[in-house]
Amino acid sequence: MNFLLRYKTLILFLILEALALAMISSSHNYHQTVLYGAARNISGFFSRGLEKSTSYFRLRQVNEELVSENIMLRRRLEALVSAPQGSLETIRDTIRGINYTILNARVINNSVNKQKNFISLDKGSKQGVTNGMGVASSEGVVGVVVGVSPNYSVVMSLLNTEFRLSASIARNDYFGSLAWDGINYRYARLSEIPHHVAVTEGDTIVTSGYSAIFPAGIMVGTLTGKQKRGGDFVSMEVLLSADFKKLTNVYLIGNLTSEERTTIEEEAVR
Amino acid sequence: MNSILKYAGALLILIVLQLLIFNNIEFSGYVNPYIYVMFILILPAAIPSWILLLLSFMTGFVIDLFSGTMGVHAFASVMAGFVRPWALSLNVMAEAAEPDMSPSSYRNGFRWFLIYTVIVVFVHHLALFFVEIFSLRNFGHTLLRVMLSTAATTFFIVVFDFIRPRR
Repeated sequence: MNFLLRYKTLILFLILEALALAMISSSHNYHQTVLYGAARNISGFFSRGLEKSTSYFRLRQVNEELVSENIMLRRRLEALVSAPQGSLETIRDTIRGINYTILNARVINNSVNKQKNFISLDKGSKQGVTNGMGVASSEGVVGVVVGVSPNYSVVMSLLNTEFRLSASIARNDYFGSLAWDGINYRYARLSEIPHHVAVTEGDTIVTSGYSAIFPAGIMVGTLTGKQKRGGDFVSMEVLLSADFKKLTNVYLIGNLTSEERTTIEEEAVR
Repeated sequence: MNSILKYAGALLILIVLQLLIFNNIEFSGYVNPYIYVMFILILPAAIPSWILLLLSFMTGFVIDLFSGTMGVHAFASVMAGFVRPWALSLNVMAEAAEPDMSPSSYRNGFRWFLIYTVIVVFVHHLALFFVEIFSLRNFGHTLLRVMLSTAATTFFIVVFDFIRPRR
């Protein structure tokens, strides 16, 4: 008893730190905890208010992004319309061919300065957002939805050291794993590329389509030319095309056939 | 009773400032000021250490709750609360021992308050950034973040200390 009294501060200190560490280690599924769900609704409310009052200052930049995206889409449309439609094989079934659904959302909370960054969006399950949806801006890949409440959703940012993305070099289709190393928010690393693959600075990196989350060919970034060799593989530095400090409007990409795909993939393996 | 209200008000203001303004400030990904630590610094000099630890934990926990970093700020804040009595007694040159008084540069001298703030903030940030990354990978980079952020946080706390009510 005497011992306890003498060291009561130290004991309390150790108990509180142990409690904090327990909270940290259980936070890998933090988006499921009830407590955090309640806090997310409150902070989502405040973040939305703050975002509304500051969004006007970014209107010019948002407009420019939308215009450049419109031009890109018009060019693609032009290419489709003017393409020769001769033989029967080229006619596509446009209704059964749709595999992805797209929603738009606004970023109401975002960070780039932590090791595990998350982004909050102003759309939730009421608007059809589900866990596992891919998130991209008009510039490139942003992240994956990991938590959904009725009105808000939380996205694991590409700037999260736990995030992995299957990405490929657009020019030659070699694919590897893209991850953030937690240092600079503009750069990520593409690893597991065989060392004989010839690349040049500025080569485009896109999603590979090997996961059920993103369709193939969504922009991720460009190679900077810096490489690190380890064994038979090299890892390359990638300049991310999305500027995470300026995220405003994003698209949520839902794969309508992901269930079918994962089912057959699992069956085949078994 | 009156002083409890005063400290509760200070805590509320610091948490709101932290969540709405300072969490959105970052210079080049290196500098993140965490000014809410000021609450731990300005609690009365004679506060029992177990109350100090509990209040520190609670403060960090609230910040964690609203920034989605379960436990990280609580851990760092308890660490700050633990070293505070030591930092307070380390600088005995000023009459820091007035029991009910809140440590400030007005009462204890600018130099004293600066050293006291730097020590507690540095310990807090050291714990915060290293627990967040949870490894010694990128050691130099993390240490740089700790030092630059300590400088920024200390700057803001000293400024706030100048403009807070002197009583």
